[in-house]
Order: sequence, then C-alpha cells, then structure tokens
Amino acid sequence: MIAKELQEEVYNCIKCGLCMNSCPIYKQLNVESVSPRGKVQLIKKIQEGKFEATEGFKNLLYTCLLCETCTVNCPSGVKIDRLFKSMRSEILKKFKLPLYKQIMFNILSSDRLLPFCMFWGRTIGNPLMSLLPQKGKIGAIAFSKLPRLNAQPLLDQYPETISAAKTARGRVLYFPGCATNYLFENIGRSVIKVLNRLDVEVIIPKDQKCCSLPIFLSGAREMAIGNIKKNIAVFNSYAHVDAIIVDCATCGAAFKEEYVHILGEMGEDTKEAQKVKNKVMDISQYLAKFDMKKYLHPLKGRVTYHDPCHLVRSQKIKDEPRALLKQIPGLEFAEMAGADVCCGGGGTFQMDHPDISVSITKNKIQSIKDTGADTVASGCPGCRLQINGNLGNEKIKVVHPIELLAKAMGEV
Amino acid sequence: MLKAEVIQKFASIVGKDRCKTSPEDLLTHSYDASIAEFVPDAVLFPISTEEVSGIMALASANNVFVTPRGSASGLGGECLAKKGGIVLSFTQMNKILEINTENRYAIVEPGIVISDFQKAVEKVNLFYPPDPGSSTVATIGGAVMMNAGGMRGIKYGVTRDYLLGMEIVLPSGEVMKTGTITAKDVTGYDLTRLICGSEGTLALATKITVRLLPKPKARRTLLAIYDDIDYAGKTVSKIVEAGIIPATMELMDKTVIKAVEEAFHLGLPLDAAALLLIDVDGDAETVERQAPLVADFCKGQGARNVRTSSSEEENVQLWTARRAAFGCIARLRPTCLIEDAAVPVSHLVAAIKKVKEICERNNVQVAVLAHAGDGNLHPLMLCDQRDKEEMARVEKAMDEFVEYAMTIGGTLSGEHGIGINKAKYLPQQLSPTSLRMQRALKNVFDPQGILNPGSFLEVCP
Repeated sequence: MIAKELQEEVYNCIKCGLCMNSCPIYKQLNVESVSPRGKVQLIKKIQEGKFEATEGFKNLLYTCLLCETCTVNCPSGVKIDRLFKSMRSEILKKFKLPLYKQIMFNILSSDRLLPFCMFWGRTIGNPLMSLLPQKGKIGAIAFSKLPRLNAQPLLDQYPETISAAKTARGRVLYFPGCATNYLFENIGRSVIKVLNRLDVEVIIPKDQKCCSLPIFLSGAREMAIGNIKKNIAVFNSYAHVDAIIVDCATCGAAFKEEYVHILGEMGEDTKEAQKVKNKVMDISQYLAKFDMKKYLHPLKGRVTYHDPCHLVRSQKIKDEPRALLKQIPGLEFAEMAGADVCCGGGGTFQMDHPDISVSITKNKIQSIKDTGADTVASGCPGCRLQINGNLGNEKIKVVHPIELLAKAMGEV
Repeated sequence: MLKAEVIQKFASIVGKDRCKTSPEDLLTHSYDASIAEFVPDAVLFPISTEEVSGIMALASANNVFVTPRGSASGLGGECLAKKGGIVLSFTQMNKILEINTENRYAIVEPGIVISDFQKAVEKVNLFYPPDPGSSTVATIGGAVMMNAGGMRGIKYGVTRDYLLGMEIVLPSGEVMKTGTITAKDVTGYDLTRLICGSEGTLALATKITVRLLPKPKARRTLLAIYDDIDYAGKTVSKIVEAGIIPATMELMDKTVIKAVEEAFHLGLPLDAAALLLIDVDGDAETVERQAPLVADFCKGQGARNVRTSSSEEENVQLWTARRAAFGCIARLRPTCLIEDAAVPVSHLVAAIKKVKEICERNNVQVAVLAHAGDGNLHPLMLCDQRDKEEMARVEKAMDEFVEYAMTIGGTLSGEHGIGINKAKYLPQQLSPTSLRMQRALKNVFDPQGILNPGSFLEVCP
C-alpha cells in the first residue's frame, strides 16, 4: 500500500468539491469519476478494502494532468497530487505500463540507449520527418509541428567548464535536461550565453542523467531510481557552487520536490536529495539578483507568458520569469487571461488522451491570441510542444524566456 | 438491484457513453459533501429535455427509483440514491440558453455551475445575486431544488427570489412549463416556487428562467475585528435594526479564522475572538458613503479595528477564503457536520452562546460560522466519523440545539435543506396538518413515489 502518512490524507477530504471547478479535465468531461474528489474517494475505498483497484480505476488515475491545481486550491490542504502519484506507483504492481511507455522509459533511463536512439534519430529521423503526412498527429501534436533533433547534443557542444572571462561573479552547475540537450539547443546556448555575459562560471556535469520525472510520475519508480540516485551523487560531488541551474520547469520540479518525496516514500535516505533540493534554482530565479539593464538591447514585438504547472505550482515561481521579460526594452508584455491554467499537455497525458488534451489546449491558444502577442514565452519544453503543436496556422512563436533575454543581449 | 435488461433500456435513451454502471462510476456517485453514502445501480447523464422525459417515462413504467444530482455539494444526502436505482446527473446538461439584456432574464440548463453563470451575466453588466458558499461547485439546478441561500441573503434574498419560471419533467415523463419570462405573474398556483426547495422530490427542472439585476457598479469589503464574539453578534442585530443593508454580513469565530488563515495566509488576526466580513455595494457614491458609516457603526459596537479593502483583488481574496471555510475546517478534524438553523436576528448573540454551551457540555468541538445578517447560523461540529462514540455526542448536541432554535422561533434549516439527517426533527417544526398537506402534494406529483425516494417526508417519523 502507499506510504502511511499519505494514507491518512484521504480522511482530510471533506468532499466540499472545490477541487472540481479547478480541474481542467473535470471542466471538459463533467463526470465525477475523473474529478480529484472522485479519485480521492476511490483511493479511500481501496485503502479500506471496500473496492478492488480495477482496470477502470487505473485508467481514471491516468486521466489526470498532475497539474496540481486541485492541490493548491484544496482548502483542507489534502496533498491530492502526492496521493495520485503514489497510487500510480502502487497500481503498477497490478497493471502494466502501456508498451510505448515501457520502451520510452527504458530508453530514457539507459546510459547507452538514449544516446544511441538520439544518434539514429537525428541521422535518419530528422530527414524522414518531412515525409510525414501534413495532417497526421502524434498524441495531440501535429506532425508538421514536431521539432527536429539537435545536430549535436548540447552536452557535446561545450566543455565541462565554461570559465568566466573576468573575475567570476558566481559558479553554477547547469543541468540542461533531455529537451534542451536533444531538441531545443537554443535554450541551452541562451542560458550559457547569459550566464557568461554576467561573468558566471558554468559547469555542465557530463555524467548527468535524465531527471526521470516522466518515468516516475507514470508510476515506474523502480525504473527511475537509478537515474535519481546518479543525479544526486553527481550534483553533490561538486563543492563550492552557488546553485544548480535548470532551464526546464519539469526537471526543476523533479529535483526540488519529487526526489525527496519519492525517496522518502520508498523508505530511502533523503539527506542527499535534500541537499540538492536546497541548491536547485530555475534560471529565472537565479537571474533575479542580477541587474541586466546595461546588457540589453531593444527587441520588437509583444510577448505573453504561460505559467508551466511545474513552475507555478510545483515550485511556486510566478513573478521571476515575468520580471525577466518585462525588463527587455522595446518588448511589450501582455498578461493573458488564465496564464496559470494548465496547457493540457501533461507530459505523456497528451499521448494517452489526445482529445481531452486538445480541448484544454484550445482555451489556452484562445487566451494567447486574445493578447495580440506575437510570441508566447514559457519555461517548459512540454508546454512548448503542446502549445506550438496546436497553434495551427497562427504566426505565434513559442520560446523560453531565456531565449528572448539572450537575443536582447545580442546574437548567440 | 436493477436488472441488466432494464438498465439496457435506459442506456438506449442516452447512449452507452452516458449510462454508467462501472464500480468506479457508481462509487463516485455515492456521496455528497455530507457523511452519508448510498451506491446507485446506474448513473445517467442526460443532455436534453427529451432524454429526461424518456427516462422518467421508462422509470414510471418499470417502477424504477430516480434521484436527481447536480455537483453533489449538498450537505444532507439529498442527491443520493437512498433506495438504490438511478442517479440522474445533470452535470453535462449545462448550457446557458439565453441571456436577455432587454428584459433582464436568462434561461439556463440545470447543470451549469453557479459561478460560471454569474461570470457570464456579469460580462454583460448583469447580476445574478444568489451566492451560496459553494457557488464555484454547485449547479443552478441543485440550487433551485434546494432553494440555496448564501452570503448575499440579507440584501438580495435567496434562489427562490430570482426564479421566473421553469420547464419541468414530471415523474410520469410529462413535460410542462411553470411561470413565465415576465417580471410579474399571478396566473395560477405558483408551482415554480413550490418546486424550488422541494429537494428534488416533486419534479425535475430541465430549463430554468431567472431574473437578473443590473450589476452593482462598486463594492467594498470591510473586515471588522472583535475581541468578544458577543459584540460581533450585537453589531449584526443593531445594523439590521438601524436600517443599514449591507450586501453580506458573515461572521467567523476564532476557530474558523485560524483554519482559513492556515489555508490562505491573508493576514487575518489570529488573536481575534470573531470577525465580521461585510460587503457594501451599489453606485460608487453609495459605497463611498456607506463603507465608513458601517465601519463607524462596527466600532461603536465594540469592534477593535475595522479594515477596509483597497482593491477588487483584495475583495475577491477575502471572499474566496470565506467560500472555502467549510473545507478549511477539515484541517482541524477530518469530519465536519454543519448545523444550519436560522434564528431571528435579534436572538443571534444568545443563539451563538447557546450552541457553544451545548457543545461544551457534550464535549463536542465547535466552530461558529454564520450568514449573520439573516440570522443563519452554521455551527461547525468538528469530529471524526470513524469515532462512533464521538458521533453520538455530536448528534446529541445537534438535538439540543434544534430544540433550542425552535423555542426562539427559529427554523430547522435556513438553506441547506432537511435531507436525511434532519428529517427526524421535522415534527418539531411542522404540525401534523402541515405534514399531511405536504405528503398530499408529493402524492399529486409523484403517485408512484419513484422520484428521490427516502427523502425527508418518508424518513420523518
């Protein structure tokens, strides 16, 4: 069964229902069984032995974006997302992961398979991609909107240590994450460039692994534990660093929140994970202390900002990315309605439930269009894929805030 | 248990996707926000009047029990399948059919969530005042069947006061209209207002016509802080007596303040014995004039301090917190039973004292929340439903408080309804003649007794 302290959580749900109106999925389907309240009650019944976890229950458990909106809105303080995450791990003792997830997670958690697949992906996959039918989709993402793999992984593009030109004003570890490493190299280049410009020494540990959040949030904790422990060991092997910088909301959430919880729930020691947690900073958080005005040249256009769930709710980071964008001269900032509402991607959710996913994303796209912005910034590769993948013919660019900042500092 | 072939017939009306019989669906339709649980045999999600009518005709022909349900945020088991059968969930029948700005009315389907509807009418500068604490969850259909009240009762009244008419489906499956879309209407018996508050025992609403008001141009929220809960209660009755009509006047005691502050971190005074959350609304000039008037009044009645909100954002924060008070209480104990007696507002202070005394004597932990302006008390009895002995003490405290409320001219329930838990108290308020009349009415609408069986009239001794 799930960890003891989580079991008691179900009794703190007073069934007021306030979670339902905040749940993006309930708002689409209007069926109690998909609502947070519904799932919490089912977990309670399972715990009490009054209901056996069924295939149907498993499906409900994965009909959830893990956007954490219910948790932050729950007046009773029920740790709803923790309960669901833990239950997913429990349910895999009885049911198997879908085949595509087994394959994907095996690749992500393997030292050899990931580089191997990415090599063949960029060598053969990239050229073949243009042959895909225009109208086809993978999950909720249109084929035509799939990003190409980086010609070279970001980690291979830089030495381990990138020294500051002048006296270093800081020294950080940088964790680019799989998306930046293999898909969105410009994010990584931007991070390095900005830090460099600010005279911060950047160390990119070469033996970092996938943060594994997609793996353990799908419940496959055993598959993820190797990577989790390796990352913690790698990070803690460097002394005298100010911070561990991440540019991906999801990796940040993994290091700051999930690692400690998961190790704890699995009965492992959490001391080392706690050390990592205390050092990890999102790039927007780290940059908050710098005065960057003198480096910034004017940009044109109007930008809006979308809050990734893993930043705004998991890490409570809301103001810092906006502050970065607002200080770029010439760039007009327009707040969208419901900026902190989930985009509907939810990692692998959009693969499992493309229809629900797209219906949620439509509202997000509308909010973006209503601002009249030509660019939407968001610090999460999942949101980027999801939003960009559903923009259709709209001429709106989706970028990471750091890319705009780097651009304002001059060409990379 | 319903036979599979009967369920099959219902499925043929709404389609397989909207006829649910999986254990997950049945279990998630077995509860509301009370502690009662009843598992139905099937859950149907109709989306049109024709479907509802077809379902009821079939139910009549086969003597199948049907219990209507909105969002199940009710507090008395009203929407639960107390005798099994079908739960008819209206959550997917949730469209706004018309917002008429010329004649200031709107027609909606029952499943729309109240706050979603309120937002839609406010976009065109109109206002739907009934505002139960659960407005972000509850549906209008549920609010109509329960005649939900809420925070703005003191100035704007309750759900019933905004109903113009309905399209209803009788238990037989017949469809009929009640009321009109005009502001005035005395044609025939007022069936609209009879069905409103019937707890889903007479008919099903499939379209609801409500009247709307112009949206108040301004509002201001005041927070009056007291060192003595008596002074807070006194302020309320004095304000009413003085002829000042704020839009809302909510009272929270120390325990509620603590729970709400823990959840929302709004900087509420944790050392206060009570506070009043007061809204004044209207034209900008009226609000400018009334807010200081109310503030001075509170101070004159012993408020330690009165804070006035400076922005609409702050107003919203405070009211979001108030709305969540019931949920916040779960931070203290797992179960919370809410008393809902309403008393004449002049008895408010005495009634609060009494409920505290009763709970102390019965060793029951209590927190006091009240829609104070209209004398509607919500003592929150904090407990753990897994502890039978404790639950017995809670019930005894409730019994005593009901008895007291009756002696001072109060009512069993101000707005939550009778449901199953309060049914046993009915004879204390309703005479045998009144009960006989009510049963006769039920019999006219539902001679077979298939609509929401096991409800208050049946449970009442």
